[in-house]
Amino acid sequence: MKRGIVLFSVLAFVLGLFGTALAADVYDTVKKRGVLIGGVKDSTPGFGYIDEKSREIVGYDVDFLKAIANKMGVKLELKPVTSASRMPQLMAGNIDIIAATMTKNAERAKQIDFSYAYFMTGQKFIVRKGKVKSIDDLNGKRIGTAKGSTSEQNATKALPKATVISYDDYPQSFLALQQGKVFAITTDESILAQLLGKAPDKNKYEITKFAISDEPYGLGIAKGSPKFLKLVNDTILEMEKKGQAKKIFDKWFGPKSETPMQRGSFKISDKQ
Amino acid sequence: MFNYQFDWAIITSGQYFEWLVSGLKITIQLSTVSIALSFILGLLIAVMRMSNVAPVRWFAHSYLEFFRNTPLLVQIFFWYFGSYQVLPESVNEWMYEHNFEFVSAVIALTIYTSAFIAEDIRSGVRSIPKEQMEAARSSGFSYLRSMQYIILPQAVRITIPPLINQFLNLAKNSSLAMTIGVAELTYQARQVESYTFKGFEAFTAATLVYLAISLVITALVTLYSKKILNPIGMR
Repeated sequence: MKRGIVLFSVLAFVLGLFGTALAADVYDTVKKRGVLIGGVKDSTPGFGYIDEKSREIVGYDVDFLKAIANKMGVKLELKPVTSASRMPQLMAGNIDIIAATMTKNAERAKQIDFSYAYFMTGQKFIVRKGKVKSIDDLNGKRIGTAKGSTSEQNATKALPKATVISYDDYPQSFLALQQGKVFAITTDESILAQLLGKAPDKNKYEITKFAISDEPYGLGIAKGSPKFLKLVNDTILEMEKKGQAKKIFDKWFGPKSETPMQRGSFKISDKQ
Repeated sequence: MFNYQFDWAIITSGQYFEWLVSGLKITIQLSTVSIALSFILGLLIAVMRMSNVAPVRWFAHSYLEFFRNTPLLVQIFFWYFGSYQVLPESVNEWMYEHNFEFVSAVIALTIYTSAFIAEDIRSGVRSIPKEQMEAARSSGFSYLRSMQYIILPQAVRITIPPLINQFLNLAKNSSLAMTIGVAELTYQARQVESYTFKGFEAFTAATLVYLAISLVITALVTLYSKKILNPIGMR
């Protein structure tokens, strides 16, 4: 009898160790819980930010999560995450899905699964008006960006002769541009549009037409949940087909919004 | 539920290793230059702080209070971003061509640390009996010469342990230079993390390197004080 208890507790311990490996598909977990927990940014205008009136997190990312929760017939709960915390939070199981302006890339795809791209942006530059016609005008110059982003990586690759300087955050790199410490600053167009939108002397600057990379944003989910991944992908494909995706884009980034952007030819598809 | 795969190979060879090494070089340059300058400046301020000329003393006093009591990060931003408003355009442009980030970091670290060093040296000087100064002055030494030949050599010896602290602080504080884009060790560790998501490995390596730098500084200063400053075991 005693041996049975020992054996049982050893078994329970071992099972506990492999708990992650044996964990159920997130789809089933969410269904059982009745709540989908989504990680979103809470201070990124347009994508995920706190609405002044309702005191709730709203934005492009949030609307996509709402649609997925609807599809599953569960409630949606939002947890604020940052660029640094979103992946650890997901891997620890504190959130079920990430919708936080996250670029799909191969390094990240080793750790988590991505949905098809649900937003497409490109890495561009803010420069002084009329100074830059093509990317060649930037080579050999000092280019500012912020740490911890893929922007620095892309800039070094596209402009091997330029000096890339990573500041702590984007507002500082914009200040460096205003003071002439750097010739241009670079990151995703969506972030550049916000920076420029806030600047008092925005008429002196422009965002370049050319981009040095495509930045497809993907929804992130933990590995080992094929059922959940399929549901997410099917949902966003359907949103594109019914025109709901475009409607959400226009709501947050249309010409009348505070951060206007071009959707261009982007469509959610199973190609990306 | 925490399933993190350690991968030490990422930081012990290849591109990321080179990044960390280049970061280490910058950290060493930054620390060495700033330690040397802050010691000299600290001595100077300490002497001024104890001067008989009131305006000189007041200047040194306000310098100390100002730079000791404001955060280093703010000072770094001040020298890097604030200097733009003060200096003429042409000087600014010349500076940007010449590694202005590094220079601002050295200026900030030097001035910040010199304030602490000056206070440490002053307390060292005060522990030397004042009769020594009186004896030196009555033997015909000027104030500066008495300081130079008699008081400071003894005071610096007594000040060695607190000085080591200041040097160690400086070496570690140099990591703040990354906020203005100086690619030192912490900057590179963070960079490795954002490229690979292997933050544990990168920062463990950086931690060990900082520890090694600190031990080397301690060993060097101790050796210097034992072998050169104090060969007959005074104190």
